[in-house]
Amino acid sequence: MRPVRITAASLVATTLLLLAGCSAEPSGAAAGPGEPVTGGSLTWAVETEPITFNPHQYAQAKTRLLVWNTFEALLTHDDKGGYLPWLASGYQVSPDGRTYTFELRGDVTFTDGTRFDAAAVKANIDQLRTEGYAPTVAAVQLKNLDRVEVKDDTTVVFHLSRPDVLLLDFLSSPQGAQVSPRSLREARNLKAGGPELAGTGPFVLDRYTPGQEVHFRRNPAYHWAPANAGHTGPAYLDEITYRFLKESSVRVGALTSGQVQVIEGVPATDEALISANRNLVLRRGLNSGSAYSYYFNTAHAPFDDPRVRQAFREAVDVPAVLAGVYRDTATRAWSVIGPTSPFYDRTLEGSYGGNAAEANELLDRAGWATRDAQGYRTRDGRRLTVRLVQSAPFVRDRRDVLAQAVQAAVKQSAGIDLQVRLVDQGTATQALADGEYEVFDNSRADTDAGAALNLLLHSTGAINRTGVRSAELDRLLDAGVASTDAAKRTAAYRTLQRRVVIEQALALPLYAPQDQIAAARTVGGIGFEPTAGVPVSAYHLWLAQ
Amino acid sequence: MIRPIARRVLTGVTVLWAAATAAYLALLAAPGDMVDSIIGDGADTPGIRAEIIREWHLDRPAAVQYLDYLWRAARGDLGRSYLLQRPVAEVIGAQLAPTLKLAAAAAGVGVVLALTLALAARRPWARGLSSTVELVLVSTPPFLIGIVLLSIFSFRLGWFPVSGDRGAAALVLPAVTLGLPVAGTLAQVLRDGLDRALEQPFAVTARARGLRESAVLARHALRHALLSGVTMLGWMFGVLAGGTVIIEQVFGRPGLGQVAVQAVGAGDMPVVLAVVVLGAAVFVVINTLADLTYLIIDPRLRRT
Repeated sequence: MRPVRITAASLVATTLLLLAGCSAEPSGAAAGPGEPVTGGSLTWAVETEPITFNPHQYAQAKTRLLVWNTFEALLTHDDKGGYLPWLASGYQVSPDGRTYTFELRGDVTFTDGTRFDAAAVKANIDQLRTEGYAPTVAAVQLKNLDRVEVKDDTTVVFHLSRPDVLLLDFLSSPQGAQVSPRSLREARNLKAGGPELAGTGPFVLDRYTPGQEVHFRRNPAYHWAPANAGHTGPAYLDEITYRFLKESSVRVGALTSGQVQVIEGVPATDEALISANRNLVLRRGLNSGSAYSYYFNTAHAPFDDPRVRQAFREAVDVPAVLAGVYRDTATRAWSVIGPTSPFYDRTLEGSYGGNAAEANELLDRAGWATRDAQGYRTRDGRRLTVRLVQSAPFVRDRRDVLAQAVQAAVKQSAGIDLQVRLVDQGTATQALADGEYEVFDNSRADTDAGAALNLLLHSTGAINRTGVRSAELDRLLDAGVASTDAAKRTAAYRTLQRRVVIEQALALPLYAPQDQIAAARTVGGIGFEPTAGVPVSAYHLWLAQ
Repeated sequence: MIRPIARRVLTGVTVLWAAATAAYLALLAAPGDMVDSIIGDGADTPGIRAEIIREWHLDRPAAVQYLDYLWRAARGDLGRSYLLQRPVAEVIGAQLAPTLKLAAAAAGVGVVLALTLALAARRPWARGLSSTVELVLVSTPPFLIGIVLLSIFSFRLGWFPVSGDRGAAALVLPAVTLGLPVAGTLAQVLRDGLDRALEQPFAVTARARGLRESAVLARHALRHALLSGVTMLGWMFGVLAGGTVIIEQVFGRPGLGQVAVQAVGAGDMPVVLAVVVLGAAVFVVINTLADLTYLIIDPRLRRT
C-alpha cells in the first residue's frame, strides 16, 4: 500500500499549502514579488469566456474569479468550511433553523452610488424569484425560502419553510451576490450583465469586448474587504484585463513571452516547461464540491445489480489511468466528495479499487460468466455493455481521453464493454432523458459539497441520473442540511459517502478537479479561494514595480 | 436596368428564405429539444422546464414558431440569444467588424501572394519552387500555420501581439495564417489560366506585334487568368468564413466564428439562424460582385 500512502500524504501536504494561501518560494529562484505595492495594470489570460456577467446567472466555476471583482455576497467562506462576515456584519439562526437574521454593514455603497441596505438585499431576492429570470436558483437554492423581511435599514430576516443550512452557502455564492437595485431596474440586458451592472466590489467592469477581453478598473471607494482577504482598502492594482485565449499552447506562449503576466488552465504537458522557468511560478488548487466521478444508472440492467457496479469499480486501476492521461498531475479521488471538503471521509482512502481478480469473481457470481469471441463477458448470449454519453460542449480536462483509458482498462481487466459516445448537447440530453445510458460523468464545483450531493443523489435531486431512490440516503442528505452544527453535518455526510461509494457502489470517484495558475514571479497574491479552491479575484493581486 | 435588378433582388430574397428555412428544419430535426439546449449542463426539474417553456413561448406548434420567426426576421427582429441572453442583432453586430476586417485582410494577403506566385512561376527555374510552395500552403491546416507563426513571430521574436482586435499589428499574423491557404489554391488557378491564355492566338498576335513577353503577360494573359480567379471568389469566401473559426480561437480574436460554433454546440437557435442568414446574404452579395467584376475585366460581356 506504499504508493497509496504517498499519494495521500502529498494530498494532505497540497491541501495544507493551499489552505495557507500560497506555497513557499523555492530557494535560489529569482526574486519574488516582495511586499505588496499599489498601482500597475495586469493582464491575465483565461481559458473560459463567461456566458454572462450577471452573478445571479452564474453557472461556470471557471468564471468565479471574475465575479468577485465586481460583486460581493453577504458572507464568505473561511478555510475551515465555516462562514465569515462580508457585506453582512453578522447573523443569527433561530433554534428551529427556520429564521436567519442578518446584520448588514451600514457603510457600503454600490459603484453606481446606490446605498447597500436591507431593501437592496430584498430587491435581489425578489429579482431572483421573478419568473423567467433565474429558474434554477429559484427551484434549487431558494426552494425552502418563504419570504424576506426588511426589519430596518441594516437588518434583514430570511424566513424558511423548513430548515436549510445551505442558505448560508447560497448567500456566500455568486448567485447570492448583491447587484445594485438600480441596475436590476434599469439594465437593458440584465441577464447578460456587463458594464451596466453595478456591484459593491473592489473593481468596476468598464469594458467588455466579446471574444477578446474584459477590463476592470479599481473602485477607489472600496474599504469593506472580508477579514480573510489579507488587506483592507482599495485593491492594489489600478486595472486588470482578462484576455480570452482558448488555446492552451497560446496561453503558455503568451505568458513565456511576457505578453500576459498570469494564465490559468495550464495543461499537464506544459507544467514542466513552466516549472523549469526561473521567472515563472506554478500553483495548483483542488476545487471544492464533488469529485469527478462516474455514476452508475441503477434503473436497469446491468447496473441494477450491485455486484456488477462493484466489479466495474474494481476493474479500473485508477492511479494507472490517471498517470497515463494526466502525467501524474491529477489527484485521485476516493469519494464523491472532493478531498478539500470538511465533510470528506479520509477513511475511504485505499479501501477499494484496482482489484481485477475481485472484479472477475463478482461478475462470475452475477451471472456474467461467459465470454464472447472478442473477450467481452456475456450472459444469456448478451454482451456486458455499458454506455457513457458525453456532451462535447461540456467536456473539459481531457475527460474524453480519460474515458478511453477507462474503456481500455475495464475491457482488459474484466471484459466489460464500455461504449463512449462524444456527442452534441442535444443528443446527450436526449440519451439521458430516455435512460439510454449506464454511466454518467459529473463533477460539481459547489462550495458546500452537500449542495452537489442533493442534486446528484437525493431521490428528488435535479440531476439524479443514478435513478437511486433510497429513503436512507434521503434521510442522510436531509440531515446534512437541517443543522448548522458542523459535527452533525459531517457525521451525516460520512455515513452517506460510505453507503454511496463502498456499500452500494453507486459511483466510481476518479479525480479531484483542480485549477492551475502560472504567473510571472513579479505577480504577488496569486492563490486560491478558501473552500472553493478556485483562483482568487484580482483584489489580492499586486505587481512588483 | 430595372428588370435585371429586380430579378437579382428576388433571387437574393429567395436564397435567404431557403437558407433560413433549411437551418430551421435542421435545428428542429436535431436531437433534444430547445428546452434541453437552454438548460444546458444545469439543474433540470419540471418547474424549471415549465418556466423556460413559458418564457420562450416554446409550447406553440413548430409551424407557428417558424412563421413567427420569419415574420419577425422580415421586420429586422432577430430575437434574443437563449444562451447569451442578449438581442441577437447585438451579439452579431459586435462581432461583425472584426470578422470582416480579418476576412478582407486575409483576402488581400491571399490575392497578392497568389499573383506573385503565379507571375513568378513564369520563369522556368521558379516554376517548381512555386508549385511546391502552393502545395505546402494548400495542404497545411490553418491551425498549425497559426501556431507556428505565433511561436516564431509573437512568442520568440515579439514582433506581433498574440491576441485581440487592436490595431494593425494584431491583424498581421491572423491575416497571413488565413490568407496562405487561399493564396495556394488561387495561385494554382491563376497559373493554369496564364498557361492557357499564353497559348491562345491573341498572345501569338501580341508577340508578333513586337510586345515584350512581360507586357503580353500583364496586359493580355493576366486578364484571362483573372476571370477564372474571380470565379473562385465564392469559394474564397467559404474558406475565409470557415477559417475564421480556427483563427479566432488560436489568436483570441473576437468574431463571428466563435459565436457561430458556440451557438451550434449549445443549440442556440436564434443565433444559429441569424449567422446562417447573414452567411447567405454575404454569399449573394459576393456572387453579384463577381458577376459585375466579369463585366469590368471582359468588355465583351458588357455588350450582351
